[in-house]
Amino acid sequence: MIRESLSRIGSRRFGSVLAAFAVAAFIVAVPAIGASSASVHSTAPTASINVWMVDNGANVNNLWTQQATSFDAAHPGDHVNVSITPSSSNTYQVKLLSALGTNNPPALFFSWGGGTLQQFIQAGKAQPFADAGMTDAGSPSWTKDFLSSSLGPVTFNKKVYGIPILGTQPVLFFYNKTVLAKYHLAFPQTVPEMLSDVKILAAHNTALIGLGNVDNWEGLMYLEYFADREGGPSVFLNIQANKKNAWSNPAIVSALKDIQTLVKDNAFQTGYDSISWGTGFVDALVYQGVAAMELMGDWDLGIMLSDNATFVHSGQLGIGAFPTVPGGKGNANDLEGNTTNYVAMATKITSAQTYVAEQFAASVFSSKAYAAAEVKDGLVPMVAGSASLLNASPLKKYLVPVYNMVAKAPYFQYSWDQALGPVKATPMVTNLGKVFDLTETPAQFVKIMNGYQTGS
Amino acid sequence: MATVSTVLSNERAVAPVRRPRSARRRMLLLADVAGLSPTLLLYGLFIVIPVLFAIFLSFTTWDVVGPLRWVGVANWSRFFSDPGAHHALLVTLELVGLSWLVETPLAMALGLFIAGTQRYRSVYAAIYLLPLLLSTAGIALMWQGVLSPEFGGLAWFSFHLKLSFLNQNWLGSPGITLYVLVVIIAWQFVPFHALIYQAGRRAIPREMYEAARVDGASLAQTFRYVTLPQLRYTIVTSSMLIVVGSLTYFDIIFILTEGGPGDTTRVLSLYMYDTGFLQTEFGYASVLAVVLAVLGIAVALLLIRLTGFGKMDSGREGIW
Repeated sequence: MIRESLSRIGSRRFGSVLAAFAVAAFIVAVPAIGASSASVHSTAPTASINVWMVDNGANVNNLWTQQATSFDAAHPGDHVNVSITPSSSNTYQVKLLSALGTNNPPALFFSWGGGTLQQFIQAGKAQPFADAGMTDAGSPSWTKDFLSSSLGPVTFNKKVYGIPILGTQPVLFFYNKTVLAKYHLAFPQTVPEMLSDVKILAAHNTALIGLGNVDNWEGLMYLEYFADREGGPSVFLNIQANKKNAWSNPAIVSALKDIQTLVKDNAFQTGYDSISWGTGFVDALVYQGVAAMELMGDWDLGIMLSDNATFVHSGQLGIGAFPTVPGGKGNANDLEGNTTNYVAMATKITSAQTYVAEQFAASVFSSKAYAAAEVKDGLVPMVAGSASLLNASPLKKYLVPVYNMVAKAPYFQYSWDQALGPVKATPMVTNLGKVFDLTETPAQFVKIMNGYQTGS
Repeated sequence: MATVSTVLSNERAVAPVRRPRSARRRMLLLADVAGLSPTLLLYGLFIVIPVLFAIFLSFTTWDVVGPLRWVGVANWSRFFSDPGAHHALLVTLELVGLSWLVETPLAMALGLFIAGTQRYRSVYAAIYLLPLLLSTAGIALMWQGVLSPEFGGLAWFSFHLKLSFLNQNWLGSPGITLYVLVVIIAWQFVPFHALIYQAGRRAIPREMYEAARVDGASLAQTFRYVTLPQLRYTIVTSSMLIVVGSLTYFDIIFILTEGGPGDTTRVLSLYMYDTGFLQTEFGYASVLAVVLAVLGIAVALLLIRLTGFGKMDSGREGIW
């Protein structure tokens, strides 16, 4: 997985634009060879393309728009228009679904890969990437520029349908060191320690954990981790493989009970089920010490840098792995989260737009300069050969531990909602929301979700 | 005979005159159709065709991006055995009933007040009608700010004025969130219905109140025997708008709770949205849409039938 790839970071890397141009020049010079493997436009077509992104904090948002501006300047006649959908991933998914159904979709669109992207591919709405103007669709030369595991969630039928645009995104605890120190607590390493901390902090009107679960996806991270710590990776792999009654695994029941224990013990702040994480409210709870920590994807470091850089740079912020469950079968170093995020390419665009989209994606996202900018914004890039950038960064104290966690993780589970696709993910998170509200028992959850397992 | 022939000849003589008249009628009919055609076209394009398409979709499976497949009545069978849909229907009916109960008396009271002649009435009216100027999303976000248990306005009052009962998880408690939503929706819509009641009250002839005063009727008796009967059709109009509006209510609930906590505020329109746009099951979502439409039409017809609203009898026989 990512660990293996990170350990194999090599120095070999070419700028994909240079590579594409070199190949193009070669083919133009030797038409016979070109005809056998690839073809190229005689003159580079120009076009205007739309690129849809999801808000990742002001710094990353600006990075994307700056890249588009630079590309436009370097490619007269081309225009890359970046639109950023604010806050809610649900809002973006709805907007994207509608757009892909029309004849005027965005050329490039933000994607989490996995089941949802696969749905688009099966419907013929997303096409594989090639090098601009070449016929190597599905295996562009820039794949060598990324850690190979980063392309897993966007590789279908051995073809690559997405290019990584952000850093690796394991889900970790982000905690306020000042709050824990105030009550003489260390970051909890086990679930019993965590429950003990809950009681100590509750006695001082402080929540151990900040949570914004109105749209239910944040709560899913707890189920993912508890289930893995209890039963190991096979728990979810059986669910994903559509095996009958796979939700009846004792690890799932136990994980759901653990969640309800946290709720009953007031581990989460009041109103955790009526706010959305995307509003920045939960981060604010941690900055202000109303909650000691929050479980979130590594993208939150970039968002914290945008919203409250002082909190990050002053060293108040701590990062820790999800605690272990004593006696659980899962490895304490297993990680949950998103491998990274991607842009995928729509099918219903002109050949000139495809050319420009491929040229833009390859020249921007696989470049060393982009990787350096990612590090500056608190991300651990998926671009091969970025380890030296992390060590040289002022954010080294955060980025290197994240890198190491990913490097030594024996298993990195892709987020369940993205892995399962929308038909199963929506009832899963909705019912999990009821478990968090104590209006549905673990047994009821298991029974309902088993109803979606159609395999044998 | 002569008379008969005269009649006949008269008829003959009249006939050519009648033809241009029917031609004129036809011309008028054509003019009517031509005049109505933009409306009919828009109505067909945006109401009839989508409704027919939704009915058609309810017999298919479709995820927008993929191909559409005919599945017969499978989606409809699913609706009758889907506890999620039944729950959403129940929550919707609860919201409709509560909205009517809260909004009607408040709107009537406010409408009667602003139709009066009290001092500073227009100043009060301007304040009361303020929510009419705000967008729904703005209203939802404002209330989110007020009700937030950590940083909200009510939490602030609770802390500083030692009013601990104000410190509730207003939007996240299964037992109270639906009622909170009813209050917020009422806050948004009461001013609009108050305007309807104000117009209704102003249309009641002053003579009726003078007669009641001469007869020695008290304020309560005047309200019971003059105002209330005269507002009969105003009440029906407002009630129909409240009931049909609440059936399809979506935006404030979507912004504030997304149907939560759990599914305690997941009304049918929200369930339809989740099923269609998040779960990408547009076939089944269309079943829910058709159910909502049928329910809305049925409730409106029922109200018309029960109240005699359709006959539109004058409520003022004998006045003029």
